[in-house]
Amino acid sequence: MTHDYENPWGYRLKWLYMLTVVGVLMLPVFYTLYISFNYGGFGAAEYEFTWLWYRTLFENQEIRTTLGWTALIAVIVVACTIPLALLAAKFYQRTRFKVPFVFLMLMPLFVPADVTAAALLVYFKNLNTLTESVLGLAMFELSLWTAVIGQITWCLPYAFVVILVTMARFRPEQAEAARTCGANAWQAFWHVEFPQIRAGVFASTAFVAILSFNEYVRTNFLKGGFDTFPTYLVSYMLNTGMTPEVYAMAGLFTVVSMSVVIVVLATTMLRERS
Amino acid sequence: MTVQESAARTRPVPAVEAEGIAKNYGSVTALKPTSFAIPAGSYFVLLGPSGGGKTTTLRMIAGLIRPTGGRVRINGADVTDLPADRRDTSMVFQGAALFPHMTVEQNVAYGLTLRRLPRDRIRSEALEMLKLVGLAGFERRRPHELSGGQQQRVQLARALVLKTSVILLDEPLAALDAQLRRDMCFELKHIQESVGITFVHVTHNQEEAMTVADEIALIADGELVERGTPEHMYETPERRFTAGFIGENTLLDGIIHGHGQEARLVIAEGLEIPLPNAPVGEGRPASVSIKSEDFRLAPEAVDAVSAPVEVVDVFYLGFSTVMHVRLPDGRPATVRSTTGALPTRFRSGDRAVLSWRPEAVRLHLA
Amino acid sequence: MKASGPGGAGRGILWRRLVADDGPGRLLFYLPAVFMTVFFLVPLGLTLVWSVFERTMFWMKPGFTLAAYGDFFLSGRIDSFLNSVQSGLATVALAFALGFPIAVFVRRSLPPAAQHKAVLLFILPFMISEVIRLFALRPVLGRNGIINDALIGSGLIDAPLDWLIFTPTGVVIGEVLSFLPFMVFCGFLAMEGVPDYVFELCSDLGSGVVRTFVRVIVPLAAPGIFAATLFIFVNSLGLFLVPDLLGGPGAANAGTLVVNAISALDFPLAMAIAAVMVAMMIVLLLIGHRLFDITRILQPYR
Repeated sequence: MTHDYENPWGYRLKWLYMLTVVGVLMLPVFYTLYISFNYGGFGAAEYEFTWLWYRTLFENQEIRTTLGWTALIAVIVVACTIPLALLAAKFYQRTRFKVPFVFLMLMPLFVPADVTAAALLVYFKNLNTLTESVLGLAMFELSLWTAVIGQITWCLPYAFVVILVTMARFRPEQAEAARTCGANAWQAFWHVEFPQIRAGVFASTAFVAILSFNEYVRTNFLKGGFDTFPTYLVSYMLNTGMTPEVYAMAGLFTVVSMSVVIVVLATTMLRERS
Repeated sequence: MTVQESAARTRPVPAVEAEGIAKNYGSVTALKPTSFAIPAGSYFVLLGPSGGGKTTTLRMIAGLIRPTGGRVRINGADVTDLPADRRDTSMVFQGAALFPHMTVEQNVAYGLTLRRLPRDRIRSEALEMLKLVGLAGFERRRPHELSGGQQQRVQLARALVLKTSVILLDEPLAALDAQLRRDMCFELKHIQESVGITFVHVTHNQEEAMTVADEIALIADGELVERGTPEHMYETPERRFTAGFIGENTLLDGIIHGHGQEARLVIAEGLEIPLPNAPVGEGRPASVSIKSEDFRLAPEAVDAVSAPVEVVDVFYLGFSTVMHVRLPDGRPATVRSTTGALPTRFRSGDRAVLSWRPEAVRLHLA
Repeated sequence: MKASGPGGAGRGILWRRLVADDGPGRLLFYLPAVFMTVFFLVPLGLTLVWSVFERTMFWMKPGFTLAAYGDFFLSGRIDSFLNSVQSGLATVALAFALGFPIAVFVRRSLPPAAQHKAVLLFILPFMISEVIRLFALRPVLGRNGIINDALIGSGLIDAPLDWLIFTPTGVVIGEVLSFLPFMVFCGFLAMEGVPDYVFELCSDLGSGVVRTFVRVIVPLAAPGIFAATLFIFVNSLGLFLVPDLLGGPGAANAGTLVVNAISALDFPLAMAIAAVMVAMMIVLLLIGHRLFDITRILQPYR
């Protein structure tokens, strides 16, 4: 909707404002990235480019292990969240109880991470006592799986909304047409609906992967005896202060997230063009 | 039971049989219990105003929605509890129902690939169907590269290729413009006659219904009002609603007075219509309808029954002219006459006499 | 007949049973709701129960005492909490003032194809870890950070501004930068369902800019604004690390209070704070739903 009679300078000014805001939001991040390549770190008199801090990072066995845990959790969380989000979106379209269902699915967004994490922690401890007394087996010891559960409650609402918005563009007549051609519900979904919502599923996969990769509070509360990259970074930072290694870790974080976003945007736009 | 069974043996099995099917959404009734049978090989049209329950009926035959009561039989087999993919029916939707990520050929072949037929057989059958609907050479196109009419033909091919015994069409021409719709009607009728499959077609457009139908069922307010051949529905409708919906009829409501030869419908002070040998008694409310082309408007009475009127509007349509007139008590009536047959050119405000033959009056008791 | 395809093998039949419309496969659709109930709704509901348990050395035992609530409401904790409420409200106001006009601009003035791409721009900062974004503010806002460097370099000020960080202002800056994108998303999402002609009508009728904004745009976007407001407010109360990284000495918000209580093994206190937060969230959500019907945001997606 472009307005032919709108003052072009007002329009340009608004664009400028919008880009400035994005710039301000991104500025600190890019600034740390910039510092992370400085030999002297933050506050040094002159800037000397170096890969040194990143090299020390990758030579550190501990950090490599944390990256492994982070990736493992992210893969499991994605593998659980995306099917759940697809099921939830389908359920939403069919159910008569739309309002309570939406509230249930979106509520985790409206509860601070610490509160959810603390409640889940105490919940798991109680479940442990329960399963131990009934089955003789503590089934909810803090571990990879408790961290995964905590992260899913956080990622599922986002994936649900993204997939729901994508599914809304799908015409239900097409699924019905597939049914009348002899497809069962499962085939109608895979042959006809899924190819058309693939972009949204792909986007939400990347989204969830990044959310999981970045997640700190819940993971920190619910993980077992291992560290993920964010928990390692935060405890390192709180213990040693802002050393150049911390900047390098932050830089690594930024680069990973940004590259995922850029890959997603690039593929989406390429698909649109073809 | 035995009576029905023996009857079923002597009569051919209908392609579709609905026995008291009904659909409620909570407290809202979409279709009251309705029964009908559709003879095999016929072109059957469900006609009616929007929201009247005709699409609901069709979707219950298709297996896309489950009736809240009653049974559906296809070729005599009870399919009420089977979903759409397990029924011997296929369907054409109003629009946007082609699979956009598949080519035209893949669309048509989809149902056959589900049956895992040999590839070359799938291909030859799909191409043959595309030829039948006049789209040979389009097989590599994508749906969005086709016009609205072509898309509907692809849908028809996709339904025909399955060789099901019934094809259901849900407002298949509603998205097309008037001229194209008329042409597609003729073509649908031709295709149905050539393949001999039972077609069940839902529409709100009476011209479309009259063009294609062997038989029309009028559905409104969640019930089947009346069914019959197009000729019956037009010439001798039994129900008042049918006369109001199909054709261009003037409806008059009143009370029956008198008996036998003296019987007449009193509509208002000084306006009564003779109904010799009316089958109902004194004091009963009833309605009559008269087709617009059965009226004759002239400076004086030219048929047996007449009433003085005032001309309200005159619409010249070329071959015919339509005139809205007002009866003595103020009721409107519609007259249509071939332009050449009019004794004079009437103008708005003229006084004239409306007359008609007694046989033109159709009595409706409901 | 369509139904009689090949594949009468045992697995085929089992599979067909499973995925039939009324087969057991349909129970799968309840899984998300069950998951959310078991691992979110129930634990959060139980916080209310645990909050009245009696504290033991390392854990808690069933009982009924309001000691935890006393610990929260009758101590310095309530002040920290109220301070974080204050900065939360300031954050909401700033995010609305800075972010909502962007949503309006994108929806009204950009061609439809560009709208989603413009909104996607705001995904970018959101995709960077919260930890990093907050941590990155220290070299920016600090005494010898780039802002002070730039201001002193340009001669605007002589001494570095020291209220930018380690003060309540620092907390608000951190929160606004964290949450601004949500105002853009929710505002845009709420207005996406509003047909173009509404906006065209406004300019046809020549309503002034302010009147259009107050009378037309804000009411239409109200559910989105409310959702964003609630999201920002509640989450700013719990935004982890903000008090540690950007607030002054002794700064805390509801989140850090919970974390500290857990570290001190005072589980009933942590649960009491959690219960208060959840109760507050539910009350706000119900009020908002009554006033604006938040589900309207998702209306076009039914």
